[in-house]
Amino acid sequence: MTGARRATAQSTKQIDADILIVGSGITAALMAAHLAEHSTRHITVVEAGTPSTPFAERARARDRYMAYGESPWKSDHLDDQNAFGTTWGFSPNMHVGGLAMHWGGVSPRYSPEDFQLRSQFGVGHDWPFTYDDLDPFYQEAEVRMGVAGEQGPVAMDPRGTPYPLPPLPVNHNLRQLQEFATKAGIATWSTPSAKNSVAQDGRAQCQRCDSCYPVCPTGAKYSPDFTWDALVKSGKVTLLTQSLVRRLEADAKSGRLTRASGNRTDVEGQPFVISARTFVLAAGFVWSPHLLLLSRDSAHPTGLANRSGLVGRYLAGHRNINAYLRLPMELLPGINAQHSLVSKQFMRVPRSSRYLRHDLRLWESSVGREPRWRDDSGAPLFGDAMLRDWQARANGATARVRAYYDVLPDRESKLVLDSTHENRFGDPMPNVSFKDAPESDVLRTWQEEQLRELFRTMAKAGGGEILRMENSANDLGQEHPTGGCRMGHDPATSVVDSWGRAHDHENLWVAGAPAQVTASCCNGTLTFVAVGLRTAAAIAREKAVP
Amino acid sequence: MSVERKPSDSTTASRRDFLRTAGTLAAGAASTAVLSTGVAACAPTQREAAADGTVSAGSRASGFDRAMLDALAEVMLPASIGVAARNDAVAAFVAWTEGYDPVAEEMHGYGYADVRYLPADPAPGWRAQLEALDTLAQRTRHKPFTQLDGQQREGVVSAALRSVRAERLPPPLSAPHIALALLSHWAASPGAWNLALGAQVSPGTCRPLGDAVRAPLPLVKTPTTGATS
Repeated sequence: MTGARRATAQSTKQIDADILIVGSGITAALMAAHLAEHSTRHITVVEAGTPSTPFAERARARDRYMAYGESPWKSDHLDDQNAFGTTWGFSPNMHVGGLAMHWGGVSPRYSPEDFQLRSQFGVGHDWPFTYDDLDPFYQEAEVRMGVAGEQGPVAMDPRGTPYPLPPLPVNHNLRQLQEFATKAGIATWSTPSAKNSVAQDGRAQCQRCDSCYPVCPTGAKYSPDFTWDALVKSGKVTLLTQSLVRRLEADAKSGRLTRASGNRTDVEGQPFVISARTFVLAAGFVWSPHLLLLSRDSAHPTGLANRSGLVGRYLAGHRNINAYLRLPMELLPGINAQHSLVSKQFMRVPRSSRYLRHDLRLWESSVGREPRWRDDSGAPLFGDAMLRDWQARANGATARVRAYYDVLPDRESKLVLDSTHENRFGDPMPNVSFKDAPESDVLRTWQEEQLRELFRTMAKAGGGEILRMENSANDLGQEHPTGGCRMGHDPATSVVDSWGRAHDHENLWVAGAPAQVTASCCNGTLTFVAVGLRTAAAIAREKAVP
Repeated sequence: MSVERKPSDSTTASRRDFLRTAGTLAAGAASTAVLSTGVAACAPTQREAAADGTVSAGSRASGFDRAMLDALAEVMLPASIGVAARNDAVAAFVAWTEGYDPVAEEMHGYGYADVRYLPADPAPGWRAQLEALDTLAQRTRHKPFTQLDGQQREGVVSAALRSVRAERLPPPLSAPHIALALLSHWAASPGAWNLALGAQVSPGTCRPLGDAVRAPLPLVKTPTTGATS
């Protein structure tokens, strides 16, 4: 008997909630934490997947990952719940904590320019608020996650308050790379990271185990399970796992959402209905618009919140160019391979005739310094001959440098329902296709060559050479993706307002990544959370509706 | 560590390769030894993992002819590491093989919508290759592999690996021959990297954060064996 058939044979479980949050990833977790502190309303959270690997098992999971490449996060997805199309950059994670259970913890802010691209550069779209408006929520996100960071030059790295934790150290390798970057005229500093540079919040200091991505065995890296554990223990949050929301229902007259319905994702597949006063979609850039599209009815034939026709549109992200440089210095790979230097120098550029903004990161690397078992003549290397050859190769230094560059989204950069792929309940799955806006499309070749030239210049300034350069998996998708329910002042050109409230439904909010207008040119998680916290603050300000 | 240990948000198509080869950090050597911090980090399971030095309780018998494997290790691994370290490397390789869980889910993580699975158990093929080395020794040298001198063993292994042309060491799980799997497994250990780098870097192990700002200490020679550690 299939899950769907079983489900119809069962009684429907009825649940009542004040605030219902769909999704349990990092944005949802920190929004719930904010709401629990600033509202008396009870919060119910629905997660389609199971709890993630318990903290007590994480060291063992890390060992098996290191030994075999085995996933430390078993059962972190549902086999029949996935996205199709150009999905590079997307992960089908469905478990408590979402993708942030195995994120790397890298937590840069966007730059002020990101919020005013049209005004300042004449490309893309402005956000409905400024960097300064978001600054308090960036601060809150940094405090809640525990971001360790170093203040960069103020002109490049404006912030309202200092980082909550001291920076992760610029280690023996990075110090040399910093000197090299300075010679090339580039200011760098310790990459801000949601990792404990000092023990705090009941979690350990980072021990540079270098498996932050995909699993931190010590708990030094922030992950949402810590927040959920505390919230559930406090009694302020009810977390329903293995519960897939498949439909949201709106009152045809008032437009207010009334119920969320779905099924358990265990073998039994029991149906459930949750009545709530406030609905928050915090399910990422794929599942948030997907649920709105799935929720179409006679009054909303193209899906909920979709008067503009923009649900699932303007998916945004960025691409990168990556290079390995051989440099005349002695680096010892493995001191802290997952920590890096960062620069925002190229994110804050003056307006010019051609648009290019990018970040810059620098790491130690072991590329070209690995052991081999045949020498240059092709003869096999045995025993001590192999070791001597390796020792000779291991001398010197390889650096990795990478730049994410901004890609502006087209309206046709979209997510649609794909009836050729259905889950066990017969729901069509999402199909994703990224498309550059025309201004990005025409600039792409030039932009990428500019980055390659920058790397060549850097190598030359350091007396080194380029070992190799490569593009990201570019046409297969984009990185740190956002959009699908973008925010704006005008209901005709956006799905939610500047606080994340749906233009069409006063008690529906879309939080974090899907609400974003663009995706900047750096890692996005901190901004997803900050945008979500701004939404949470707006929800908390509302009076409870009986 | 035979591959680039990519940063958390690495973005190239080789992320999958990285994940596939993350297993190059050897089982016995790289067990998570989380430092005691007095806070919640040290769960009991972590202490156990650190103490027994094993990766898991997977108890699949590899069935390797241990004398053959030791003889192969004498050819493949550096003599300069000393007999004890070589024996440890063989034991770690056997434990790693026995702890393997075929077709377990691979790490998919950020950037991949598809879920992939680890390969089938390589041990039966490696066992057969070990036997074949002995057969080849008997045919070409008229002696068991274990009774050949070092140069003769190298000749037999060279002949067996003639068709494997790639220069780079493959990750142990995808090694086409047990000789390369054994070497690759050792070369992935923090100790082997330390030997290559000439310093106590110990990649992939959990270490005090504050020490990262100093140059790692040089290796120390063991007075009795001359081996470095």
